[in-house]
Amino acid sequence: MIRILNISIPLFLVYLALSGNAQPSNLIIGALISVGIALLMPKRDMQFVPLKRLPQFLWAGIRYLFVVGWDVIRGGISTARIVLDPKLPLNPGIITIPSGSKSELGTALSAHSITLSPGELVVAMDDEGTMYTHCLNVDESEKFVAQAQSMRQNLLSKMFE
Amino acid sequence: MGNILDIIAVLFMVIGTLFSLIGVIGYIRMPDVYTRLHATGKVSVFGIVFLLIAAIILSPLSLWKGLVLIFFVLLASPSVAHSIASAAYRIGLPLAHPARDDLRGKMEQGDGRDV
Repeated sequence: MIRILNISIPLFLVYLALSGNAQPSNLIIGALISVGIALLMPKRDMQFVPLKRLPQFLWAGIRYLFVVGWDVIRGGISTARIVLDPKLPLNPGIITIPSGSKSELGTALSAHSITLSPGELVVAMDDEGTMYTHCLNVDESEKFVAQAQSMRQNLLSKMFE
Repeated sequence: MGNILDIIAVLFMVIGTLFSLIGVIGYIRMPDVYTRLHATGKVSVFGIVFLLIAAIILSPLSLWKGLVLIFFVLLASPSVAHSIASAAYRIGLPLAHPARDDLRGKMEQGDGRDV
């Protein structure tokens, strides 16, 4: 029961946001569709967010969104600057970054935000959560990556562990 | 009030178009798959987000629908870039002038199957 609610409530909210009307008929259709999809999902152990940690989860989540948003802006501008530079200053290479996260979801989200941050692109991951990351400028990335990763990891662990 | 919003929207549209253009230029100028993914995966996405914000202001697209679209773009584009890069490395496309390559040793040990 809780498992179904855990899946269907986010689905219902997304449906409402997308359809953008709060007529009773639309609400009923949305509820039916989201519960139906939740029933069709495989019965795996999907532990998303325990309810009692919800405030902490939301606070860490909002801060995480701001960090990622800032990374998107910096990433776009710095990569654009490299592209427009007449000399094309590249020093590419693949470096290893330990994600420091135990859960699969944490590793996946770390990889996602690293790919959004300036000059880095996760190429592969292994079982221990090490991320092999392609960088536009190896020296620069290596200098800043450990600090940025520990900050992200701190927020992610507040959300999911 | 409407005027100011219009000006902001036009400004965002110009910025978005500019960054999309820079993304394409980067795609042409960069030497190999991985660096090209940097150009399309970051610069173009930045442009698309700005174009979507302009679309929220100017077109009948509702605010929530626009925000959900931005969220999905931001969620999908790094995943796509990652999967293309992963596939490219697996079929052995070379890096152009690599300064270092930590992944090669791992692949050669044969541990690369679930990498």
